[in-house]
Amino acid sequence: MEQSLSLRRSLSLEQKKARLGVQLVLPSVIVIGLLIIYPVAYNMYLSLFKVNLVGNNTFIGAKNYINIIADATFWQSVLTTFLYVVFSTFGTTLFGLVVALTMNKKFPLRAIVRSIIILPYVAPVIAVVYAWQFFFDPVNGIFIHVVVEMLGLYDQRFNLIGTPEYAIWVAIVFSIWKSFPFTYLMIIARLQTIDNNLYEAAEIDGCSSWKKFLHITLPELYFVLGTLILLRFVWNFNKFEEVYLLTENVKTLPIYTYFKAFTGVMDLGQGSALAVIQFVLLIGLIMVYVKKVLKW
Amino acid sequence: MKNTRKVIMMIVIVCLVAPFALVAQGEAETGPVSFEFWTTETQSDRMATIQVLVDTYEILNPDVKINLVPVDENEMATQLQTASAAGNLPALIEIGAENAVAFGSDGLMDVVRNGELIDKIGEDEFYSGALRLVASESGDNYAVPFHGWIQGIWYRADWFEEAGLEPPTTWENIEKAAEYFYNPSENQYGILVGTKAEGFTEQCFTQFALSNGAQLFDKDGNLIFNSPEMKEAVEYYARLAQYNPPGPQTWRARDYYLQGKMAMFFYSTYIMDDLSLQEKAAGSLTGENFAELAGSDFDPDLVTHTQMVPLITNTDTAGFGVVVTLGVINQPDSAAADAAVDFARYLYTPNAYITFLHMAPGGMNPVLKGIASNERFQNDPQGIFKHYGAEKMAEINSGMNDIVTFSIVDGNRITAASTITTKQIIPQMLYKVTQEGMDVDAAMDWAESEMKKLID
Amino acid sequence: MVILVKFCKKFGFFLLIMFIVLFSLFPFIQMLSTSLKYSWDWGNPSLMPAKINIEAYRDLLGLGEKKVDLPESIQNLLDETPDLTEKQRDAIIANYLDTGDVFPFGKYFLNSILFSLSAAAVSLILSVFGAYSISRLKFRGSSFIRRGILFVYMFGGILLLIPLYKISVALGLGSTEEGTVVALVIIYVVQTLPVSLYMLGNFFRSIPYSIEEAAYVEGCSQMQTIWKIIIPLSLAALATVFVYSFMIAWNEYLYASVFLKSYENLFTLPLGLKALFVSKNAIWDRIMAASMLTAIPVVILFMFVQKYLAGNLASGGVKE
Repeated sequence: MEQSLSLRRSLSLEQKKARLGVQLVLPSVIVIGLLIIYPVAYNMYLSLFKVNLVGNNTFIGAKNYINIIADATFWQSVLTTFLYVVFSTFGTTLFGLVVALTMNKKFPLRAIVRSIIILPYVAPVIAVVYAWQFFFDPVNGIFIHVVVEMLGLYDQRFNLIGTPEYAIWVAIVFSIWKSFPFTYLMIIARLQTIDNNLYEAAEIDGCSSWKKFLHITLPELYFVLGTLILLRFVWNFNKFEEVYLLTENVKTLPIYTYFKAFTGVMDLGQGSALAVIQFVLLIGLIMVYVKKVLKW
Repeated sequence: MKNTRKVIMMIVIVCLVAPFALVAQGEAETGPVSFEFWTTETQSDRMATIQVLVDTYEILNPDVKINLVPVDENEMATQLQTASAAGNLPALIEIGAENAVAFGSDGLMDVVRNGELIDKIGEDEFYSGALRLVASESGDNYAVPFHGWIQGIWYRADWFEEAGLEPPTTWENIEKAAEYFYNPSENQYGILVGTKAEGFTEQCFTQFALSNGAQLFDKDGNLIFNSPEMKEAVEYYARLAQYNPPGPQTWRARDYYLQGKMAMFFYSTYIMDDLSLQEKAAGSLTGENFAELAGSDFDPDLVTHTQMVPLITNTDTAGFGVVVTLGVINQPDSAAADAAVDFARYLYTPNAYITFLHMAPGGMNPVLKGIASNERFQNDPQGIFKHYGAEKMAEINSGMNDIVTFSIVDGNRITAASTITTKQIIPQMLYKVTQEGMDVDAAMDWAESEMKKLID
Repeated sequence: MVILVKFCKKFGFFLLIMFIVLFSLFPFIQMLSTSLKYSWDWGNPSLMPAKINIEAYRDLLGLGEKKVDLPESIQNLLDETPDLTEKQRDAIIANYLDTGDVFPFGKYFLNSILFSLSAAAVSLILSVFGAYSISRLKFRGSSFIRRGILFVYMFGGILLLIPLYKISVALGLGSTEEGTVVALVIIYVVQTLPVSLYMLGNFFRSIPYSIEEAAYVEGCSQMQTIWKIIIPLSLAALATVFVYSFMIAWNEYLYASVFLKSYENLFTLPLGLKALFVSKNAIWDRIMAASMLTAIPVVILFMFVQKYLAGNLASGGVKE
């Protein structure tokens, strides 16, 4: 009794901090934990069953998994997914960075420009998808009208968004367009906190703008960029709506899953198995990335 | 400091506990019998009309409470699966026949009560062709036919006449006209057939396949998809798709027709509603408004120049349509299920039924023989009967009796064909052929292997 | 020569800004254009409407005289239902006229605001403390938590939806309006928390520890430091996180479509928009006008919080 009391008194500053740390993060952890652990476990469980709409599920072991791994189109879609995710992630980050650096400079009407360029991010996906389709519509769209009828660059009308060869690149550009404002916002928030003295000092040393960017800005942005790339990677990996509504023929994993498991009567067992496989593919990459790049 | 910490904990606790407190309050308000009715008519003006029917029924039956819920047809599977997992399925649902069969064969539908509902209305009152579409292999009823539409080729009769072309009733006539009117340099296209991987594409194709005697299954349920007739149909379809507007297309491209840039398109009789809207828009374009129209493609006489062909002939003659059904769903609460039957019965009484059908004259056709000739039904608000004439409307309506699909072969129900339809394998195959330039044989082999996976 | 280089630089900079603006805006120009066209003008490729049509906006915002008339079919229905009293008939008609709007924009708008504001506020409060904890305080399991919160995004859409809905109904949340609101807000909070935690965590790490130390020397507790030092220094990041959370809830469709379907009074803008889009009578002017009206509030919100973003915080005395 007496011992434990004295122990409590002797809690070091470190320990006190640790306790506070746990207390502060606990609400978030509880809310997230409650809502995520059960669904994930539920999915893993279902992936071993043939799930019926009503009545009991039938245990079928690894059959759902075998079904997927044996499917050649599955591996194709893994490849498509990586292509889509890698290009859209780096494209978004790079463009977001350029925009952030530009918007960090002073110019007339900056406040308005800064506000309107977030429009792509805040508008509902379904609405902007149709706007894109109208714009590039092969029959009525302004884009084709200009390049074919007015400029005569092409001699035939074409469907830019629907054509299979271009579809994945259109989807990538669309993804960059839709999500660069988020990247830009996050980067510019961080840019504002960089100490101006650093730049002044560099200027005295006669550094060029490029050198300043390389040696001051970039290191300061390291964590933000690292985090943004990570989040974008995970998000785009699971992106369904944006791709499907624009061009359903870019067969990334979520779209493969949709056609395989969710059209018509749902095959939830199959869908769950796919989610687990997707999860395993993703988690390996992420764990390495978080440890090596973010050093968390 | 300490307070702040308390505040966060409070917020979390409130978030987690408040629900239980609220639940306790909420439960008292439900009436003696209450159930959900899911409708696929999600437009809020249609919802409002159905709500009037619900309100009227509730006043006549004060102990029943009906919650009308709009559910997008494309999301029906997700919503049903979710509700089934959570144990709060609706008691009554409005749903396409193919889906009713697919869900019904999974045990969702209450076949006993649906049969009871048909008996109450009178089996003889229905078009037998429509009833066949909801029957199970053993003769049970997965759902009850409610209303339906017919697919047809809609075409510019004035252009056809001017060019001296026959109406698009046969494979030969259709292809000839599509080629004739296809003039991409003038931004004019011959035909619209679906080429995206979705339901519309399957609907267009089914009519061609069946008019060539091509089936998915024989009457004993053996898969005979990979046949010479089917291949012929796929090849023909791919040829027609060349005269489409560029790229993958779906029903939304019907706008090009309304703009006078297309000669023919596949569409359901729902287009009558759109055309009449178009006509109304044209009606407002008189006097000074006309000056603005100079150079625009709009044709104020489009409606009068539009004709429709419901049947296509090659080796066989085939029509296509979709019947939308009402279905009672298996319920733990039998009182709710019985109330659902009674409400559904009310929806079939002439007064309620005609009000419902008049939400989209032409698009919603009765499946009860007696209604088609009903005077009030023929006096529709959009004046569509007046425009197309009672004879044409009777032809469309009797089409309800002649709908053919892959899932009924010589009167035998082939459930697997409904599953294949709902899984969209055929549209995916047609997309590969028409858009990705895949070889027809390879695409059909792919489709066949996917179908086999579904069957076993 | 120097002047020429300077001019070229300026001009290049100007071009870059023009490009960014045009690239961001072109679909919205299309949207605006279509929303202002008459139906007979939809086939016209020009972005300039042949004649401006503001009917769609007037209908959506309920300006001008409201003219929902009772359709003949409904009048007939009521006339031929003899068991109804006059009062009951009037009640039904009143209910119809009340809900017969094609798109009750005002109602959906308020619901969307309710969900988005609550979700953004809760998410912000939880994440400020959580982020401070994982970025500044060391404790066992902290690195596990930092990595673990990403799990939220690992499983997409439908697969989380079904078990979450199941839980909410099992707890009784799904069967009342209030419970549904709470359930959906919690889900939105969870969807946004990981980002908020990451972003604020990164940001807090960039605040020099020396400032905090100075506060301790003056006798502030850890909580006071968060309140008095960290929060005021992070307004830009906080604003960004708030806008982010708000927007996620504002545009969310999938969860809303399942959780809210039985509660028409709670429908949000995305549900209304989707219903417009899938309707077969494509009324493009109205659809596009509704889309514009859905996007604009978030932009206004953003302009409002922008002043926090614009201020140069580094000059605000943050010096090591």
